[in-house]
Amino acid sequence: MVWASTGRVARFLQGYGQEIVVAAAILVLFGVVDAVNPRFLAPVNLNTIFSGNAYIAVAAIGMSLVIICGHIDVSVGSLIGVLAVIAGTLAVKGYPVWVAWAVPVVAGVACNAAIGALIAYSRIPSIVVTLGMMSILRGGLISVTGGTWITNMPAGFFIAQMRLFGVPLPVYFMLVLTAITAFWMRSFTAARAIYAVGGNAEAARTTGFSPERTCIFVFALHGFFAGIAALLFATQLQVIQSTVPANLELTVITASVIGGVSILGGTGTVIGSTLAAILFGTISSSLIFLNVSAYWLRAVLGLMILATVLVDMARRRRSA
Amino acid sequence: MTRALLRHETIFAVILLAALALLASRSDRFFTLDNMLNQGRLMAEVGLVALPMTFVIITGGIDLSVGSTLGLVAILLGVLWHNVGLPLPLAMVLGVAAGGLAGLGNGFVITRFRVPPLIATLATLALYRGLAEGISQARSVRGYPEWFYVLGQGDAAGVPVQLWVFLAAALLAGFILTFTTFGRTTYAVGANEVAARFSGLHVDRAKLLIYTASGLVAGLAAVIFVSRVSTTRSDMGTGVELDAITAVVLGGTSIFGGRGTIVGTVLGLILIQVLKNGLALSGVKGDGTIVVIGAVLIASTLLSNLFRRDGNG
Amino acid sequence: MTAILELAHVSKSFAGVRALQDVSFDVQQGEVHALLGENGAGKSTLIRIMAGVHAPDSGEIRLAGAPVRFGSPRAAREAGIATVYQELLLFPELTVAENIFLGNEPKLAWGGIDWRTLRRQARALLDRLDSHDLDIDTNIASLSVANRQRVEIAKALSREARVLVMDEPTAALADADVRRLMDVVRRLRERGVGIVYVSHKLPEIFALADRVTVLRDGGYVGTIPIAQASEQSLVSMMVGRAIDRLFPKEIVPIGATVLELSHVGHLDEVHDISFALRAGEILGIAGLIGSGRTEVALTIFGITPATSGEIRLDGKPVTIASAAAARTLGIAYIPEDRGQQGLIRSQTIRENISLAVLDDLVDGLVINGGRETALAKKFIELLGVRTRGPEQLVRQLSGGNQQKVVLGKWLATKPRILIMDEPTRGIDVGAKAEIHALMSRLAGEGLAILMISSELPEVLGMSDRVLVMSEGRIVAEFDRAAATAEVVGAAMTGTRAAEVA
Repeated sequence: MVWASTGRVARFLQGYGQEIVVAAAILVLFGVVDAVNPRFLAPVNLNTIFSGNAYIAVAAIGMSLVIICGHIDVSVGSLIGVLAVIAGTLAVKGYPVWVAWAVPVVAGVACNAAIGALIAYSRIPSIVVTLGMMSILRGGLISVTGGTWITNMPAGFFIAQMRLFGVPLPVYFMLVLTAITAFWMRSFTAARAIYAVGGNAEAARTTGFSPERTCIFVFALHGFFAGIAALLFATQLQVIQSTVPANLELTVITASVIGGVSILGGTGTVIGSTLAAILFGTISSSLIFLNVSAYWLRAVLGLMILATVLVDMARRRRSA
Repeated sequence: MTRALLRHETIFAVILLAALALLASRSDRFFTLDNMLNQGRLMAEVGLVALPMTFVIITGGIDLSVGSTLGLVAILLGVLWHNVGLPLPLAMVLGVAAGGLAGLGNGFVITRFRVPPLIATLATLALYRGLAEGISQARSVRGYPEWFYVLGQGDAAGVPVQLWVFLAAALLAGFILTFTTFGRTTYAVGANEVAARFSGLHVDRAKLLIYTASGLVAGLAAVIFVSRVSTTRSDMGTGVELDAITAVVLGGTSIFGGRGTIVGTVLGLILIQVLKNGLALSGVKGDGTIVVIGAVLIASTLLSNLFRRDGNG
Repeated sequence: MTAILELAHVSKSFAGVRALQDVSFDVQQGEVHALLGENGAGKSTLIRIMAGVHAPDSGEIRLAGAPVRFGSPRAAREAGIATVYQELLLFPELTVAENIFLGNEPKLAWGGIDWRTLRRQARALLDRLDSHDLDIDTNIASLSVANRQRVEIAKALSREARVLVMDEPTAALADADVRRLMDVVRRLRERGVGIVYVSHKLPEIFALADRVTVLRDGGYVGTIPIAQASEQSLVSMMVGRAIDRLFPKEIVPIGATVLELSHVGHLDEVHDISFALRAGEILGIAGLIGSGRTEVALTIFGITPATSGEIRLDGKPVTIASAAAARTLGIAYIPEDRGQQGLIRSQTIRENISLAVLDDLVDGLVINGGRETALAKKFIELLGVRTRGPEQLVRQLSGGNQQKVVLGKWLATKPRILIMDEPTRGIDVGAKAEIHALMSRLAGEGLAILMISSELPEVLGMSDRVLVMSEGRIVAEFDRAAATAEVVGAAMTGTRAAEVA
């Protein structure tokens, strides 16, 4: 029936408004930059945009869950650095490749579950705990590695450089993980609990959810995604640096927020954050192809996050 | 309540003395006057930033953007003097004023748009740092006149210049917080903002002033920093917010607001500097110390929470 | 017929304060049983016991005749008892459909949520509640209070509730919504649901209820079939105490008009408020919950500035845009919510008392500690605050003494107009009398006092004049001589009697 399908379209537009905006921005940018400089669409560049930023998108999946639940994590960048080094070290030391892949993921889950438990039961705000963890992880990483880079990893280790049907594996990771998580968020009560706790923790408790257990669960998931992101990040190049990319956590948080996850919790989807990660890659590449200095990238991101937050606050005030 | 705070600070002073004694015994380079003064010099920038941060956290807020503001002002200083050609003193003043403007921006977003301080300053952390990077284009400015370096590298009456600046600022901050109506308003806003408003206090105006001060002082710290390291770079000040927040919380200020003192913050700063120095003298490299700082932040908030539960109902 | 839910001889205390004493209450299938009582009568506690939030200290709960213990709100819900609280427990960023079934979603064979069925059932539930215009896909955040309430009721029904407890359901609703809600209640009754209807509003109770139970001061007064009840009998059951309990009210000479409101309004909460307040006068404002009395106070005090009309002080028009402005004009407000709005509980008596007059205590820039302590001591003595000293923390004081500290804070500002919102709520009898004596004394010194109270005896005993508010308007005015419990009580509830039938 006609009205049923228009109703569905309207619902889709309302529920996924922000995601549509981000997708549109990507398309617009592609169009504009390609008109100015056709080399923008060259496979090498597309590879950089999609595959090179896939690890950010994956990390943003976990971060989105954390923010929807009402918390925040500024230590994820440092965690990814640590897990990447763990992966590289295991590979160099001769462990089977699958071990070098699995251990960082497990470590990520364990570490973040512990953080989640600390936040849930000690009632210390998540910003404080993760601010401290950020230092502990970052400093610990450099202290232990002494700043040396990891090289000479076996050939089978570089998962990010492999391809399947000509498409780089990271792209598959990004798309598949996003799709599975998005589906899970819609289909399971455990996922609805995340929205509930983030929207109104006390009402969630009355409904029968446990804010504490949900917090631990969400952080553990976040650790899983951080582990996979670390693998993708570590295997992009032939070497693993012992420093963490500057402000990785900020990029990941920004991806979530611009993708439609409200920083106040209770709403948003992971599809948006993945699209936003792609958008950042597009912007970053666009700046280069438009001959704009890449040093303005952070400022652009900062403006975008501020604008998104202001719009979100204005919208909430209007409807409250 | 005053009794509980005093208890925290006495325990703290004891810990500090113990740490000093321990470190003195482990290295004979520790307790020299030279070393002490040098530590004072290194501590000044974080110390300055931690002073208005104390006010911010007492009101129940937080300012994550101070490091970025510091970096931005450092860059502006270089650009205004070197590229625009302004006389250095004017560039210094404008730079600090720009810091104040950055802080005002934070305050405006927080009071006018009612954005939670955490989120507002997280966004400006990115924006201000981004502006610093964009304006500087990764070029650094060097070659300042000799007199400029006195601020960051010189001494007055044997004591580093910036230490004098910090002491003066600390006395001023402590005075305001303890004795003036503004200080009382700060505590009231943090303890119960609704009651403060219902009592006729100018809550929004106080918050605006506090965040502006935070930016302004970060600007001042930037000038000192540049003077000390003789150059400007856009990544300056990274991590300053962590040190400042840790010092404030370590000093007894509750992250939830309503409690805290400048004395406590100063003690916290000293303990952190002592820790850093001690670790360095024991051969631990700079990065190892940030592990300790991070652990100290978490541990001190945990302890402070425990005290809160015991002392309060 | 066995009752679905029965509470027998239930008692409950909190930290030594008795909230319920030997109360018995039952709900039958297909009946609307109204629960009536003033603030503090124990209605909330009774509801929470039914909802499984608290367990009774003594007495028994029976479900369809069998004794039960509810270990948690979830247990009560699963037993078929649904509660719709005044503060709605909804999730603003989720849709109507999502809220209705949160935690209770219909599932597909493989374990995932069955959205088709969920949406269909949500639609059906809302249609059963005659809410065809409510779109299941809108976010709660954009809904009106009335619609949010409908979602809460739908939520209750989604779990096949046998008993539905509704706490002041029409408190925040406009007329048309009230009528629709009452239709919904009637429909539920026809389907056999037992409804506990807690309300102040007598016209609704007369229109809907089959039986009514009255509580007073935590105790059970009685249950009567609605056919045998009258407004007078109910009001006297609610109020109960002899009005001739003496209040230390002295007759003082009343002076010139200090404050005048002309057609003052604030958004759509209060309309067309006009009255005059004179020096030495105690003007009482009576009314039910939600009648707009506190809103008027907050408008005069500048927290929610007037959006229409004029306020005049000593004949001159003034704009009061903030609490600070009000204080400068000599207006003081003793808030209804003492703990949240009136005091900083974690601070000392001295710090609380000086909070509104800090600028007066400074020498140059510094607060003069000696003057501050002297001020605190002065009011401790003047108001008879029972305490160890000015350095004691306010949260350690009893309710009555806390109220005195709030009073001291505002008296320190030397106000001309004192607005007191529920001045003796939550205070024991002895302290009540002291506060009343203080009020009389203050009036005698020329202060103009605006007293908002839900306790009729207090209103009748202390006021020189009584205004009655209902639904955001002033509906009646009485002189001291003409004000009686029946007449004032009727005015409080009277407006709707003609409409609702």
